[in-house]
Amino acid sequence: MRTGDYKQSYGELVALIDSPPVWLWSAVLLLALIAAPYVLNSYALSFLMIILITVTGALGLNILTGYTGLISLGHVGFLVTGAYAYAVLVSKYQMPPLVGFLGAGVVPALASLIVGAPSLRLKGLYLAITTLAFSFIINTVILEMRWLTNGARGIQVQRPEIFGIGFDGDAAFTYLCLAIAALTLFATLNIRRSRVGRAFVAIRDNDTAARVMGINLHTYKLFAFVTSAFITGIAGALYGIYLSFVSVEGFPFLLSIEALAILIVGGLGSALGAVLGTVLIVLLPEATRLVFSLFSAQMDAAFTTGAQELKSMLYGLVIILFLRFQPRGLVGAWHDIKRAWVHWPLRY
Amino acid sequence: MQYLVQLLISGLAIGAMYGLIAMGFAVIYKSTGLVNFAQGEMTMITAYVAWTISTTVSGNVFVVAIGAILAAVVLGLVIERLVMRPMLGEPVFATVMVTIGLAVILRSAINFIWDAYPHGLDIGMGRGIVHLGGIGVRTGQLAVIATLLLLLAAIWAFFRYSKVGVAMRAVAADDRTALLMGISATKVHALAWAASSVIAGIGGVFFALSYDLSPAMFQLGLKAFPATILGGLDAVLGSGLGGLLIGITENLAGGYLGSGMKEVAGFAMIIVVLMVRPFGIFGERDIERV
Repeated sequence: MRTGDYKQSYGELVALIDSPPVWLWSAVLLLALIAAPYVLNSYALSFLMIILITVTGALGLNILTGYTGLISLGHVGFLVTGAYAYAVLVSKYQMPPLVGFLGAGVVPALASLIVGAPSLRLKGLYLAITTLAFSFIINTVILEMRWLTNGARGIQVQRPEIFGIGFDGDAAFTYLCLAIAALTLFATLNIRRSRVGRAFVAIRDNDTAARVMGINLHTYKLFAFVTSAFITGIAGALYGIYLSFVSVEGFPFLLSIEALAILIVGGLGSALGAVLGTVLIVLLPEATRLVFSLFSAQMDAAFTTGAQELKSMLYGLVIILFLRFQPRGLVGAWHDIKRAWVHWPLRY
Repeated sequence: MQYLVQLLISGLAIGAMYGLIAMGFAVIYKSTGLVNFAQGEMTMITAYVAWTISTTVSGNVFVVAIGAILAAVVLGLVIERLVMRPMLGEPVFATVMVTIGLAVILRSAINFIWDAYPHGLDIGMGRGIVHLGGIGVRTGQLAVIATLLLLLAAIWAFFRYSKVGVAMRAVAADDRTALLMGISATKVHALAWAASSVIAGIGGVFFALSYDLSPAMFQLGLKAFPATILGGLDAVLGSGLGGLLIGITENLAGGYLGSGMKEVAGFAMIIVVLMVRPFGIFGERDIERV
C-alpha cells in the first residue's frame, strides 16, 4: 500500500518532475494547448492568449516575490519598460523582432539594477514602497522622453515575423505566446531546483541564516531582480503586441496588484501556483458574468455597464478571501486534497 | 520673488493635506505595525460623504463637519472589525496585501455608489481669497494649514498626557507586555483605525473644498505616502511635518522644473530618504536581534 511520498536520494529531491503520471498529464495539457487554436472560437482564444501572456509575467514576479521573498508593488514598471523597448526597437528603428524581444528583456533588467541596488538595504514593506515609487517614476520618464517614446501618443506595434514565419493570425500568435510561456515555466522550474534557486528560497526563509551559510545577499538579490525583470519585460512585449498599441495608459497600476493577486491565489513561491492563479484570476470576471447572466438579463446588463469596477472589486475580494481562508493558495488546497485522497478514511 | 512665495504658500496648503493623510498612515502604523494602503480610498469616501451631506441634507458647515467625522469614525471601525481583526496574528505581508485588496474594493465601490464625474464641494466657504501682503491666498488654504497645526498640537498632547494615548504608545512599543498590563490591544487597534480615518478624512474634505471631488482622488493617498516615509512611518507628528516638506518640494519642482517633475518629486524623494535614512527623519531606527 502506498503510504506517502518518500525521497531516498538528493537527486529525487531536485528532480524536475517526481512522478511519471505528471509527465503524462503535462504532455496531455501541452497537446490540448496545441490543438486549442483549431477548436476554440476567437473570443475564447483571446482569453487563452491573455492567460499565456499573464503566466509569463506572473512567473517573472514569482521569482522575485515568491522565491526570494522580495515584495514588489511596481512590477508593472518592468512590464511597461519591456513593451516600450520592443515597440521602440521594432516599430521605430525597424529592428528584427528577435532583437526586439531581447531588448524587451535586457532593458527592464538594466532598469531593475537601478531599482535593485538601492533596495538592497531595504526589507519588506520599505522595499515594496520603493518599487511602487519606481513604477510611477518610470511612467513619467516614458511620458517625458518624447523623442524616443512619442510621449502620451504611444507607439503602434505590428504582429511580428520571426524566421520567415508570420505571427499575424490569432492562432499563430497564440503559438508564439505558448512557446514563450512554456519556455519561461521550464526556466523557472529549473532555476528553482538549482543552486541559485535554493539560495533564493534560503534568503526568503531567513536572510540572516542564509548569509551565515555563505550566500552573498547582494549578488543573489540583484540576480533575482534581474531575472524577474527580464521575464516580466518579455511578457510586457507580448502584451504590447497583443494590444497592438503601446502606451502608458495600457499598463495601469492595477496590473501590479493583479500580479500579486495571482501569486497569492495560486500559492506564493510555486510555479504551478502562478499558473493556476493566472487561470483563475483571468477567467474570474468572465465566469462571474456567466453566473450572473444565468439569473437574469438585467444583472447581465448591469455587469456590462460596470464591468471594470466589478472586475477590480472581484480582485480585491478574492485577495482578501484567499488570505483569510486559504493563505497557501490553490496549490495548498491541491496538496490538502491529494493528502486526503491518499489517506482516506484516516485523517493523516 | 512673488512667484516663489506663491509657490511656497500653495505648497504649504497642499502639503498640509498630505500631512493630514500621512498622519493617518502613521497612527495606524504606530499602533498596529501595518501600512494601510487603503488610506487614500478611506479619505476619499469621507470626502464623498461630506459632499452628499452638503447636497442632500444641509450645506451648513457644522452639519457637514460633524456628519463627515461621524462617517469617518464608522468607516474606520467597520473596516477594523470586519477586515483587519480576523487577520490579527497573520504575517505582515498577508495583512498588508489585505489592505491593498480593500483599497481596490473601496475604489470600485465609490464608482458604483457615486458616479465617475467630478463634483465641487460647496459649503459657502473656503474658495474666497484673502490678500496677505499682496499675495492672494484662498481661505481654505489658510484653514487647512491652521487645522494641521492644531491637530499636531492636539495629538502631541493626547499621546503625552491622556491615559488612552499612553495605552496606545504601550501597545505600539510592545503589545504583549501591554496586554499583561491590562490594556486591550483590540480596543487600541479599533481606536487607531477610527482616529486615522478621521484625521485623513479631514485632509480629504479640505482637498475637496480647494479642488474637486473625482474618482482619481485616491491618488491623494499615494501622494501622501512620501510624506509619511519622510517623517517616519511610526512618527505621527513627523508625518504631519513631512507632508508640509513634500508639498513645498512638489510645488517648487512643478514651478521650476516642469509638471512631469511635480508628479514624481515625492516619489524620487522617497527613494532618496529610504537610501539615506530608511526610518525617516523623526522615526525610530529598529534594531534587529539575531
